[in-house]
Amino acid sequence: MPAEAVAVPLTVGPGLRTPQTRRAADETSSTPSDRGLMVGQAQSRMNDTELIREAQRGNRAAFEDLVRQYDGAVLRLAYHLTRSEQDAQDVYQEAFLKAYRNINNFRFECSFYTWIYRIVTNLCLDLLRKRQVRKEDSGVTTDSEGGSYDLLDQVADIRSGASPERDLMRRELGARIAKALTKLTPRERMVFEMKHYQGLKLRTIGEILNTTEETAKNTLFRGTQKLRAALKDMR
Amino acid sequence: MNCEWVQQNITLYLYNELADDARHELEQHIARCKNCAAEVADQREFQVQMNALPVEEPSASFLAAARMRLQEVLETTEQHRAWYHRFAFDPTVWLRQVRFSPALASLIFLVGFGGGIGAMYSAMSKGQTPAVPSGNQQPPMISGITSIEKEPGTDQVRVQYDKRLPESVQGSVSDPKVQDLLLYAAKSNDNSGVRLNSVEALTGKADDPRVRETLTYALRYDSNPGVRLMALDGLGSYVKDDIRVRNAVLEALLNDSNLGVRSGALHALDPVRADSSVRMALQQLSQEDPSEYIRTESKRMLASMPSID
Repeated sequence: MPAEAVAVPLTVGPGLRTPQTRRAADETSSTPSDRGLMVGQAQSRMNDTELIREAQRGNRAAFEDLVRQYDGAVLRLAYHLTRSEQDAQDVYQEAFLKAYRNINNFRFECSFYTWIYRIVTNLCLDLLRKRQVRKEDSGVTTDSEGGSYDLLDQVADIRSGASPERDLMRRELGARIAKALTKLTPRERMVFEMKHYQGLKLRTIGEILNTTEETAKNTLFRGTQKLRAALKDMR
Repeated sequence: MNCEWVQQNITLYLYNELADDARHELEQHIARCKNCAAEVADQREFQVQMNALPVEEPSASFLAAARMRLQEVLETTEQHRAWYHRFAFDPTVWLRQVRFSPALASLIFLVGFGGGIGAMYSAMSKGQTPAVPSGNQQPPMISGITSIEKEPGTDQVRVQYDKRLPESVQGSVSDPKVQDLLLYAAKSNDNSGVRLNSVEALTGKADDPRVRETLTYALRYDSNPGVRLMALDGLGSYVKDDIRVRNAVLEALLNDSNLGVRSGALHALDPVRADSSVRMALQQLSQEDPSEYIRTESKRMLASMPSID
């Protein structure tokens, strides 16, 4: 997949940063304390450039180094979107395989981060569209192998050890949210996921989805309204 | 600012996506409008509620399994080659071929050693001393051995080799033979001085697309900043008409490790500063480039942008 012609700005640095840290980075503009961050971004961009050039010369080890910089974030996004380890692994593999095959078409017109996210989101959108056609909208859904699993089981109990009742309520709410998310259109789902859960800037989301920031804003607004309506009774 | 506008922008406000002035106005509005303040509180609660579906970091074993699967597939996957690589000399291909050299060298050594022992043994058995080459005999400048054949039953070996002969050519840069040599030297010579001289000689012929392609290659990939700067010099006047040149210069501006090359690229792009990709790059550089010079110059170029109605 060749990089598109115009996109240039580099907003977010790569790596295995948590959504919280990335959100914190996004919220900043140009305060003096960000200088370190900006230098870090510039350095990582430079490292990326070297690695990409090496990978373009056929150096597989350099490509694997690149993979290691981004694969945690890619797997996290794919897993949160698909709620299935198998599907997330398939998206992960397909995305990096595509990147490897087409690395010679990467022309440095956007950051590698944007490029790889563009590949991943396209694959996820395809998957979500396929699922929507299959009308997998009940609490019990199927994975790529056809086996069924319950959404409730997919909501990890991150506060185990606390009150069992509260745990159960939290898991139920998580399952309801997961179900409500499946009611969004694939694009609304993708924008909401990248904004709310991955903490990306709308400008970056627009670039990744090959659309404008304004369209990304409208999509986020629509998705949020739908989710609020679906979850109103839970508050 | 009315309630309708505020309600449509609360989502952006809570996700820190509103511009500073709009954020200020919205905050002023909700301080005096109870309905809108209640909507903000409701949406804030919604955002907290959505976090009940946590984003988990993939476990180490999950990540390791994904990596292993990918690694296995990568071993049998070929990269698609970019179109311009068909024209470019790729030293890695040559290096890959060189990988087989140790095996060839071992073979030559074994055959040579075996042949030598055999010759000495047969000479000694005839009571003769082995032939020794005269002291002033120079070994030939061998560039590669193409075949070795041993005659069965004898100690005779036929070694076929290529001899390297130094030659020189003198002529105009427009001479196709000279130009081919310069194009080859610009891309593949180990000596950066030779590359620099060939790129310098080629800069005057950048109207030829083949020369531009080589200069673009040098700008992108040459390890020596002097060579990259020289290539940039030759390409400067083509940023307007050749999109590939413009992309390469833009790439140098954004990614080159040398500040001199980046500054050169910035000035080379001046005639096309209104181009959307250049403008976006300038906007980005003017805000966040680590170099003060690049930031200032980008700002200056943006300020002198022709106005669009």
